[in-house]
Amino acid sequence: MYRPLLACALVGSLLLAACGGNSATTQQTTVVGTAAATIQAAATTNGPAASETIVTTGVAATTAPQTTQATTDTGIMTTTAPQNTAAATSITASGAQTTQPATGAAPATNLLRWSNEGISELPSIDPAKPGDSQAVTVISLVFGGLVRFDDQLKVQPDGAESWTTSPDGKVFTFKIRPNLKFADGTPVTAQDFAYSFNRALTPNTQSFAAPFQLSHIVGASDVASGKAKTASGILVVDPQTLEITLDSPLAYFLSLLTYPSTFVTPQKLVDTGTNWTDHAYGTGPFRVKEWKHNQEITLEPNPSYWRGTVGITINMPFIQDSQTAYQLYQTNKLDIMGAGQNGVPSANIPDVKGKPDYQQTAALATRFIGFNNKKAPFDKEQVRRAFALATDRKTIAEQVLGGNAEASSRILPKGMPAADLPIQGLDFDPTKAKSELQAAGVDPASLQVTLTYGQEGENDRVAQALQSIWGKNLGVTVNLQPLELATFSKNLDTTTLTPEQGLQFYLSIWGADYPDPQNFLSQQLQTESPNNNGHYSNTQFDQLTKQADTLGAQNQYDQRMKLYNQAEQIAVNGVGWLPLYNPYTNGLIRPTVKGLKLTGQGLIAPDWTKVTVSP
Amino acid sequence: MTTFLVRRLISLIFVLFSLTFVTFMVGHFAPGDPILVMMGPHRDPDTYQRLRHAYGLDKPLLVQYAAYVGGLAQGNFGLSLRYQGRAVWDLIKGGVPVSMGVGGLALIISLLIGIPLGVVAAVKHNSAADRTIIGLTLLLYSIPSFVLIPIAWLVVRALYDAKLPAPPIAGWGTWQNWILPVTILAAGSTGYLTRLTRSTMIETLRQEYVRTARAKGLRNGMVTWKHAFRNALLPVITVVGPSVAFLITGAFVVENLLKVPGIGFLTVQAIGQRDYPVIQGTTVLLGVAVVLMNLVTDLAYTVLDPRIRLE
Repeated sequence: MYRPLLACALVGSLLLAACGGNSATTQQTTVVGTAAATIQAAATTNGPAASETIVTTGVAATTAPQTTQATTDTGIMTTTAPQNTAAATSITASGAQTTQPATGAAPATNLLRWSNEGISELPSIDPAKPGDSQAVTVISLVFGGLVRFDDQLKVQPDGAESWTTSPDGKVFTFKIRPNLKFADGTPVTAQDFAYSFNRALTPNTQSFAAPFQLSHIVGASDVASGKAKTASGILVVDPQTLEITLDSPLAYFLSLLTYPSTFVTPQKLVDTGTNWTDHAYGTGPFRVKEWKHNQEITLEPNPSYWRGTVGITINMPFIQDSQTAYQLYQTNKLDIMGAGQNGVPSANIPDVKGKPDYQQTAALATRFIGFNNKKAPFDKEQVRRAFALATDRKTIAEQVLGGNAEASSRILPKGMPAADLPIQGLDFDPTKAKSELQAAGVDPASLQVTLTYGQEGENDRVAQALQSIWGKNLGVTVNLQPLELATFSKNLDTTTLTPEQGLQFYLSIWGADYPDPQNFLSQQLQTESPNNNGHYSNTQFDQLTKQADTLGAQNQYDQRMKLYNQAEQIAVNGVGWLPLYNPYTNGLIRPTVKGLKLTGQGLIAPDWTKVTVSP
Repeated sequence: MTTFLVRRLISLIFVLFSLTFVTFMVGHFAPGDPILVMMGPHRDPDTYQRLRHAYGLDKPLLVQYAAYVGGLAQGNFGLSLRYQGRAVWDLIKGGVPVSMGVGGLALIISLLIGIPLGVVAAVKHNSAADRTIIGLTLLLYSIPSFVLIPIAWLVVRALYDAKLPAPPIAGWGTWQNWILPVTILAAGSTGYLTRLTRSTMIETLRQEYVRTARAKGLRNGMVTWKHAFRNALLPVITVVGPSVAFLITGAFVVENLLKVPGIGFLTVQAIGQRDYPVIQGTTVLLGVAVVLMNLVTDLAYTVLDPRIRLE
């Protein structure tokens, strides 16, 4: 965040040149004085901003260092997706029943004041292009898809009441809920879903996620490239039946559909023009009542919500800085703060830890070190193993991050399917680390490596800690290369495209787009995956994950998870990633709010009709 | 005078031209890519190319620049990349009056307090009053707003806990929301203006024409306000004039922490996200404002000091 300073200096000097050059001659000296004073004056109004920013960022950073990073580092990440589960499942909101009126009459509409942090405005709440996790939060409240995941992060029916899969795992047949309606009362049919899928794919929509997320639907790429209007793999069998055909069996396809890209959008609303999202509605529990741009959004209950009557209205201010949200919470201007990408400012955690308001859980994200496997010295597995064994994760999680993260030596974050199966990690063992390095024939004293990272959150401190930990335990020299985030992502891209010109190794984070191991293992580490920035390659890993990716039948679930577990063990041994920790997501939720649960993917209501706010 | 104005306004065009050109080129040559930022580490080459094309980022830079300037000439600032499909002007227009309102009010307050305080300090040079004023203003000037805000919050929280009327911590919409940002912005600039007025005033009071005025037997007040003050005001105008222009872009930290919907956050965020049209838009706005305020400042000189001629 040194950018404002740079920008001011740039603008300042430009103006200095420009204004000085064109000024009245008799006033030459005074005018130059003016320009100089411009900068001086800028120092009073804007100047401090630059230096303040650094500190503020530090403060904000400490809030939820790692998750904050996740937004920018990983772009889309479906954190904070409040979800609804199926009526079919009998999940009960803990404590919700006690306050629920027994009469069955609509409960009085209560106000839930919930801050959406780290933004001054939502980028867009068009489900086809969610922009950031803050937008996903709102989209998931207003829109719904065929399926959603619940507070256990399991896929549950939403707009579809049931579905079947063909024996070859390529054809999914969804039965649309008969009573499903848009918030304006219009019934929703399979045709509306087909429209929404195709709309997300068309180039006009400019979705950055749908074209590759849905690329396995037959004909999707033709729509994405503008060659066709509708994908042949999306078939409306009858108003209640939608059939989707894939070019290959995808076990994680249902998980993919929990991401907003395919949420159903009313065509007649979209057709009203670019501002349609100002009054957005869909099949979610809420609809947009008012969106005060650059300030807040107010969501009112969707009167046609298929699960019944929602009893609360949500007022969601956009708050740039978590410190502000914390102070507003403390003066009773908010009912929920944190609980998303940004959490409770770390300086304030000791004040609230142990109170009933404070909730904390490991986010569905892993911060890791990635290696360029095509560049010395990390092309050698033993060198990577040496670095992994020399990494004292406990010190980083507990000392450097003040206990605001959970040290992890495995790739899958806690809470992810297959993460409950055991993995033997490369835990801290400096003696073994040194011998690995020796076995690789590398002289530690002459080894110089450069660790690159994007400057955000607590990255500076983590990188410095790693520098000293590796220096101490391996005797190697580690140089640090901090980069502004957009520059970092450009460098990472270069590493992917032309590894020989790329980074040596880098500190990064990956947050789940959808809760499935495929999103971590196959997408990140399969040899041919475009997201495999470091070009890790292991034939056995590829085989196992590719096989697992296709085991879509219900009864193959356990087998599938076992395959991912084996693959993960291979990638841990071969150090495809050097996992460091899972950041915590935390927040303050007033005990008067019942029926919401903080999960690794953010706040989730098992059933929005049972969420209450008592005065 | 007319020639001067015409010349200045014509020069504005050149200033804008060079300003947009340099920010455009520097922005695009800086490493980083708005599409990559948008996509995150989801590297899908096809989608990436398609989006670059959709946003016109695959065209040669000069062509892109020409298109931008062409649009600008028609008053079109383009579309934001991050806030998809939203016009840059649409994003900025709401924030500018807010930033200018809060900043302007703070500036007026600090002028009303700072200048008289400075004059008093200068007149009572080296007295206890002078030292108190200097001490206080030094304190105000040296505490940055990111420290001042948490202190203000502590006070608000204490008032709140004591069930006393307290201004809101942050937010926008009511007049009470103006209290904290205006106070904090005014505190810093009051400190600065007091010190500036004091030092130029001290210098002016030592001038020979002031001594002459006193020798003529003029009243002290007359000497201070009519003879010395008017001249001492020149450097103050020099500072204040252009800083009015910078009110447009808002005070980032204050707006950020106190949730004032100005364009400070938008501007800084745009740089991080490589949202070129928004960066350009705010730069152009700032450029125009600075040129215009310099013009106003120069005109103010002629009013204050008739010896100055603009040609």
